[in-house]
Amino acid sequence: MNATYTMGQVENQKVVHLHPQQTKQRITDQIGLIVFLGSWSMMFAALFFALGMVRNNLGTWPPPGFEPLPLLWPSINTAVLLLSSVTLHYGVRSFRHGYIARYRNLLAATLVLGFAFLGLQFMVWIELWNSGLQLTSGQYAAFFYLLTFFHAAHVVVGLGLMVWLVPQVMHAFGHPKREGRVRLASIFWHFVDVVWVLLFLTVYVL
Amino acid sequence: MSTEVHTDPQPYGVDLQPKHAAPTTFLGKYIFSTDHKVIAKQFLWLGLIFLAFGGALAMMIRWQWAFPGEPVPAYLGGVFLYESDGIIGPAAFNSIFTTHGLIMIFFAITPALIGCWGNFCIPLQIGARDMAFPLLNAASLWTFVISLILVVASFFTMMGSAAAGWTTYPPLSTNVGTPGWGQTLMVLAIFVTGSATIMGSVNYVTTVIRLRAPGMTYMKMPATVWGLWLTAILNVLFVPVLAAGALLLVFDRCFGTSFYIAGANGNGDPVLFQHLFWIFGHPEVYILILPAWGIMSDLLSYFSRKPHYWYKGTVMAMTAVTILSAIVYGHHMFLTGMNPLLGETFMLLTLVISVPAEMLFLNWLHTMWHGSIRTTVPMLFTLGAVFVFGLGGLTGIYLGTLSTDIYLHDTMFVVGHFHFTMAAASLLAIFAAIYFWFPKMFGRKMNPMLGKAHFWGSVVFITLVFGGQMLAGYAGQQRRLWDPFQYTFLEGLHDLNVWTSYAAFALAIVQIPFIINWFHSMFAGEKAEANPWKVGTFEWMLPSPPPNYNFDEYPVCYNGPHEYANPEVKRLLGRDWIGQWEKLPEAGESSSTDDAAAPAVTPELATDGAAE
Repeated sequence: MNATYTMGQVENQKVVHLHPQQTKQRITDQIGLIVFLGSWSMMFAALFFALGMVRNNLGTWPPPGFEPLPLLWPSINTAVLLLSSVTLHYGVRSFRHGYIARYRNLLAATLVLGFAFLGLQFMVWIELWNSGLQLTSGQYAAFFYLLTFFHAAHVVVGLGLMVWLVPQVMHAFGHPKREGRVRLASIFWHFVDVVWVLLFLTVYVL
Repeated sequence: MSTEVHTDPQPYGVDLQPKHAAPTTFLGKYIFSTDHKVIAKQFLWLGLIFLAFGGALAMMIRWQWAFPGEPVPAYLGGVFLYESDGIIGPAAFNSIFTTHGLIMIFFAITPALIGCWGNFCIPLQIGARDMAFPLLNAASLWTFVISLILVVASFFTMMGSAAAGWTTYPPLSTNVGTPGWGQTLMVLAIFVTGSATIMGSVNYVTTVIRLRAPGMTYMKMPATVWGLWLTAILNVLFVPVLAAGALLLVFDRCFGTSFYIAGANGNGDPVLFQHLFWIFGHPEVYILILPAWGIMSDLLSYFSRKPHYWYKGTVMAMTAVTILSAIVYGHHMFLTGMNPLLGETFMLLTLVISVPAEMLFLNWLHTMWHGSIRTTVPMLFTLGAVFVFGLGGLTGIYLGTLSTDIYLHDTMFVVGHFHFTMAAASLLAIFAAIYFWFPKMFGRKMNPMLGKAHFWGSVVFITLVFGGQMLAGYAGQQRRLWDPFQYTFLEGLHDLNVWTSYAAFALAIVQIPFIINWFHSMFAGEKAEANPWKVGTFEWMLPSPPPNYNFDEYPVCYNGPHEYANPEVKRLLGRDWIGQWEKLPEAGESSSTDDAAAPAVTPELATDGAAE
């Protein structure tokens, strides 16, 4: 009755029961994180609102004299980030069911994809910056850099959270407290992913 | 009296918040504590210190409007304006009224009302041992301290602190209008204090959702918790919008973008900032008043010794105001060239707010009607807050209405209005809360004589100061004028301004009894018993001050927060109140002290409150 689940297939056959207090604390943690992310998404909403208002004022978008943003690499980048969400999702599932090796591989894959996203993002920035689209060259460029930079800062935080999870993969497995951490980090990462999809649609595509 | 409650003291079968040992070192106890009660005290101290700071700035504004061009006396000029021998120049004046507004709103009222009472009341009144995330709570405090350091630092920069008005409108707030570092530091301080607010509010929202004691349904939560919770929800949703606006402003100031600078490369839009600012700014005025409404709703019932009239209605009215506050911000921008249809829509939505506000007011009046009113100091301050909020609310109708707002916009009438609502009502509610919870917070009572002197002085002079401002504004005096009397059409208002200023100085002087009372009571006041006011919410079942883990055993909530004058309680327990933690004994039993389900009733608590 105490355990919310039983890790039946743990490789080292260590069966872990989650203490009810930890279950309760974990729900509290998740509610806290969701309230926080709801709050934080208002910040992005406000930035998108600003973008929409400026576009509405200017009439034509991109403004005269500006090339539309390139689509190829950002699209690939979107795919990379979406894939990282998928790997993390299955990683968390593997962790929950006790498949530690698979979790380790999927977490590593997520980290690699996350860093790949950042690398590609830097590539896009440098390319555009060198082609003359700079922070001071008007609203179009300013909003592009502001939103992508602000989002990239969140990617960095998300990667930091996942790096924070690495030691538990290396050391003894099965402490129930850690499962909560994996969950929280994954919720944050999915949030960053959803924001990117919205950003990709509003900044690049539309 | 509810018939059935969930009475398992540990609803999930576990100790949800284990007791922590009391800290032993000075630093652990008073500085780096994660105990919500200590953090509440820290917020209160910081808030009161910055209240004095903002008040000093207000005195300088009033001095300038009474005696423009004369050096400011009483050391104020010497401290703030040593370069100009105490004379307030136009640039210094801009800086003074700007920082007065910002400090009062973000660094005085917010910590003293939300930071302090949110931390103190929420866990105690819902029966929790601490906040949901104690460490995040401490992080919120220390982030707030960083923002205070930024504020103070901005005063020592080359061109002085922020000077673009508290609303920080561009282009005044861009490098074009205020090139100094002071403005940048102030915008950063707002960004940082916004982060602190978000941390605190996430904590409040989660705590109320998760940590209510068994039996404590939402409708059994005290109104104080309701007000603080709704405020936290508004904070969570709208402070990030301000942060986004501030972020764009920082980019404009530091990285050469032009989001808000019209006519520069790329056609920025200053009105964009106004939108972002007021999407936050209008909820902000309710953020500052909702906790006050909650505290007032509770205290009116406690000291009328009557149940709150239609408590559900009060809660619904506060919730309705919370929702409406999110969709009325356009009434701050009637004169920005908004589409008239949109203007009328915002006007209509704004005026709709007066319906729930009236509901609230009528419930307060009905609560007092035929009550057995105790004129204690907290009750007096609550009544004062009701009075000034009534004045502020009624005059708000003139400003929400398009046709009158076109004339009154940016006059002293606006200043008087928002001071009545946000400043006077919130401040009097803060004082009511301080006088009310001081015994629980510090374990000692405040002196009622000094408290009454403080009350009468405060309420009379607050009304005179802000009433004087309203009259001047109605006569046409614009706000933020360095020397209003250089304009011929305002010369006739000089006398009015002088008298308003005298009232303001008197208002500052009548705070002295409070300061004496505060320090004297904290160290040498009469020791307080557990329940000096004979009130039934959870914090009063604990000793004063409560232990660091609050509740030895989790309390169970049986009653609503305002169970007074119940004849059945009077017959069975012999007093006019019953605690939320107490189960009414079965008929036939005369006392509940031997009732195992209600162990917290001590003989001392069982004395008759009505005989007071």
